[in-house]
Amino acid sequence: MTVGVVANPASGRDIRRLVARASVFPTAEKANMVQRLLTAFGTLGVERAMVSTDLGGISANVLRAVDRSRDNQWPKVEFCTDDPLTGTVADTANAVRRMVTAGARVIVCLGGDGTARVAAAACGDVPLLALSTGTNNTFPQLREATVAGLAAALVATGQVDATTRATALEVTARGRTELALVDVCASTSRHVGARALWDPAGLTELFCTFAEPDAIGLSSVAGLLAPSPRTTPDGVAVRLAPPERARMVVNAPIAPGLVRPVGVDEIRPLHPGERVVLRLRDGVIAVDGERELELAGHEATVTLRADGPRCVDVAAVLAEAARRELLSTRKESQR
Amino acid sequence: MARTISYREAVNEALAQEMDRDPSVIVMGEDNAGGAGSPGEEDAWGGVLGVTKGLYHRFPGRVLDTPISESAFVGAAIGAATRGMRPVAELMFIDFMGVCFDQIFNQAAKFRYMFGGKAVTPVVIRTMYGAGLRAAAQHSQALYPLFTHIPGLKVVVPSSPYEAKGLLIQSIRDDDPVIFCEHKAMYDTTGEVPEDSYAIPFGEANVVRDGGDVTVVAIGRMVSVAAQAASELAASGIDVELIDPRTTSPLDTDTILESVENTGRLVVVDEATPRCNVATDISALAAKEAFGSLRAPIEMVTAPHTPVPFADSLEDLYIPDAQRIVNAVKSVAGWSR
Amino acid sequence: MTDTLPRPVEGGLDENRLREAYRVMRTIRMFEERVHDEFATGEIPGFVHLYAGEEASAAGVCAHLDQRDAIASTHRGHGHCIAKGVDVKAMMAEIYGRTTGSCHGKGGSMHIADLSKGMLGANGIVGGGPPLICGTALAAKLQQTGGVGVAFFGDGASNQGTTLEALNLAAVWNLPAIFVAENNGYAEATSSTWSVAADNIADRAAGFGMPGVIVDGFDFFAVYEAAGEAIARAREGGGPTLIEVKFTRYFGHFEGDQQSYRADEVANARANLDCLSRFRARVVETGQLRQSTLDQVDAEVTTLVDDAVTEAKAAPKPTRADLETDVYVSY
Repeated sequence: MTVGVVANPASGRDIRRLVARASVFPTAEKANMVQRLLTAFGTLGVERAMVSTDLGGISANVLRAVDRSRDNQWPKVEFCTDDPLTGTVADTANAVRRMVTAGARVIVCLGGDGTARVAAAACGDVPLLALSTGTNNTFPQLREATVAGLAAALVATGQVDATTRATALEVTARGRTELALVDVCASTSRHVGARALWDPAGLTELFCTFAEPDAIGLSSVAGLLAPSPRTTPDGVAVRLAPPERARMVVNAPIAPGLVRPVGVDEIRPLHPGERVVLRLRDGVIAVDGERELELAGHEATVTLRADGPRCVDVAAVLAEAARRELLSTRKESQR
Repeated sequence: MARTISYREAVNEALAQEMDRDPSVIVMGEDNAGGAGSPGEEDAWGGVLGVTKGLYHRFPGRVLDTPISESAFVGAAIGAATRGMRPVAELMFIDFMGVCFDQIFNQAAKFRYMFGGKAVTPVVIRTMYGAGLRAAAQHSQALYPLFTHIPGLKVVVPSSPYEAKGLLIQSIRDDDPVIFCEHKAMYDTTGEVPEDSYAIPFGEANVVRDGGDVTVVAIGRMVSVAAQAASELAASGIDVELIDPRTTSPLDTDTILESVENTGRLVVVDEATPRCNVATDISALAAKEAFGSLRAPIEMVTAPHTPVPFADSLEDLYIPDAQRIVNAVKSVAGWSR
Repeated sequence: MTDTLPRPVEGGLDENRLREAYRVMRTIRMFEERVHDEFATGEIPGFVHLYAGEEASAAGVCAHLDQRDAIASTHRGHGHCIAKGVDVKAMMAEIYGRTTGSCHGKGGSMHIADLSKGMLGANGIVGGGPPLICGTALAAKLQQTGGVGVAFFGDGASNQGTTLEALNLAAVWNLPAIFVAENNGYAEATSSTWSVAADNIADRAAGFGMPGVIVDGFDFFAVYEAAGEAIARAREGGGPTLIEVKFTRYFGHFEGDQQSYRADEVANARANLDCLSRFRARVVETGQLRQSTLDQVDAEVTTLVDDAVTEAKAAPKPTRADLETDVYVSY
């Protein structure tokens, strides 16, 4: 019985380091998180862990640890070496697909929103546990890895069934389809360029799967006006405008270290299954905070899907484990 | 109006007067003020031996302390010089040249030539040289010969407070990269120095003492040691002509040769170690250009071919002293086939 | 509420500037390809190190610079020279060692410079540039010009002490300096994944007290944006930045290098990783530039490079009278 772990070495080195005082998440810490996950898996009887390989030093670090400590009671660790490494998001997608094919019961991914959405697009029905290590961490959870590992193992071993189905936004343009777990945003900026989106000028439309008031990133624009919790099926659709002409202006934390006025003309619920054609024809579409699709006169559509990835709800899993005493044993009291 | 001040004060005064006159002059180096980032006194040191003291407060923003990264700040001084500044960077000990030599000899020295005459790099690198303070092997060398060897650099070795002030002012005004070598054992020596600003041209030796019997050329601190020897020799009836080249690059060959052609006998006193030092350079010059005038082989009085020893008994043997100069002069004076 | 969309966010790249960016990149590409061909005839003395493949870095960064700014380069410096506005014909003549060269034939390919254009020279010493740029940035700061210094260096130089010292000094003195690590994957014949102990050169930035950013070196727009932010930040007194540009070089370390250490990469790179064709495709698609405009630039650049070679070959070599001049301003 197998659990998969995918760790993205590339998260956290883009231009937001410069324009948004975003933090650098060291590779060594990502490797430590993987090791903590393996420790937790081992204590709950997970037999096999498949771990992604990378050129950034995470898997090398884990391999050294596997070699060094024989008595750490980890599951059997297998590295995904079937696909050649490209140093791009394709590596994440490939690894997740391999893990799904090999029968992984849960997949843990370490990264930011970008990593999570790629993993979500590839994991099918296998539950996903996204742990945060990137910049805009709206979707992945900022959780201690050992505890997350316990939750993943409890779900993988079938002891607890506490997963929730997230919604997702499917955006299609020029024959390409991308999945977003948090937001899709259209901008009149011409080029993908440095990818990250940190300048609110030129944003025209914003779609969110959910919008929490205490989130970081573009979804906070909606979250501060008309919050829409993760737990409800509806998302949010927002029509944006330059702040000087807009009906409302939100001072939103659109990136770490960046609070900017964003102009909003209209905000309404977005229903699952509703297909929206974007007004924008020339510009770029950003998916989960990164510019991804370039348009030059092309039509793009966005649809909110109710069948996004199944997600492991760590808090709920451990609450149930506590209630059912899955991690404790009582001895008969002696009189 | 001349008055008596120390070698240290003479250097400080040259810097202050030039910084006053020319806003593009800036000073940088390790602890040139001292106290950067510390809670106590600013300008705590003014240089490890106090040479730059006072400049920090007098010229706000123009005296920059640096981390211990010679490549970076010597390189920065050179780069700033290409952009209209006249930086005076301090390489604390000439012995440290090893960690920044590339910026000096491959960059600054070669810009003008490599870039077809279009670069002007008016940087001064002040540095301490010389033995006598028991500072041992890595803090006591006389490495000006290595700089003298490099085309594109000028090398200045002042022998007294008067020389120090005038030559430093000239160095700062000069448009080429200058290595300015201050002998650390001379900072407390005193001499007559005019109050006003004056510049001593490069490539013009100073004839410290006229004489007709033997030419003695001495570098830096060795000039005062040789002067002592000359007094002693005068009492023995040998009349020494003592020449201080002031700058080893450019070298005033005319003055030296004229003297050798007159006396026919040459002793060169150089604190640097004997292989390829300035003494060998001057000796070869004389042997080639004044061959017909020579009446004795040329003598060189130098340190031995060793690192500088620590024990005072050994360091005192290492440094050329007046007695060895006297012996050398007597040897050439009395030489016959 | 209005129905009109906001104007496109161009980031300062109007038609003129886009065309000039293309011109810079096309000039570099054609210049280097031509030098490659001419070098093979044996007429060019010494060593040359070609920048083909890396054009987006020089063009994307230098598009933000003006006469207040200075750059330092590497032995692979033709691209930076062209991007900073050094005269192309004078560059070619210098490579041929003629008196009409940028340095009167006394510097050669590795030392082409034009201080009047703020180009402190290609540099034969790995890591020689970063300390010099600390100096130009210091001068700009003290002279209050708002100017910046940009040090281009390679993955090899990223391990050199002078570079690391310069990063620290720039942060300590809060200098308007941008350090551009051009990581083309190889320092001579050694791969950067082997020689750089950190996972990325940009990762070292945090250790030196400045932000570190990675950009795709095959994408002019990505380099342009990142450089724009770093340079604006520096001009406003925000201090230094380290930008790591990841890409590849098409030619060997030096002309004559068989590149056996690279297996089949080069062919793939030329076919699929070309900043020029990407730029072209993109601007034509968005309508920002017309094919005909780009073709016109191509023709002009072809003529320029042809003329540069013809004139260089016909120019005189320096003579004995030039041998000992320009060592000093005065001696």
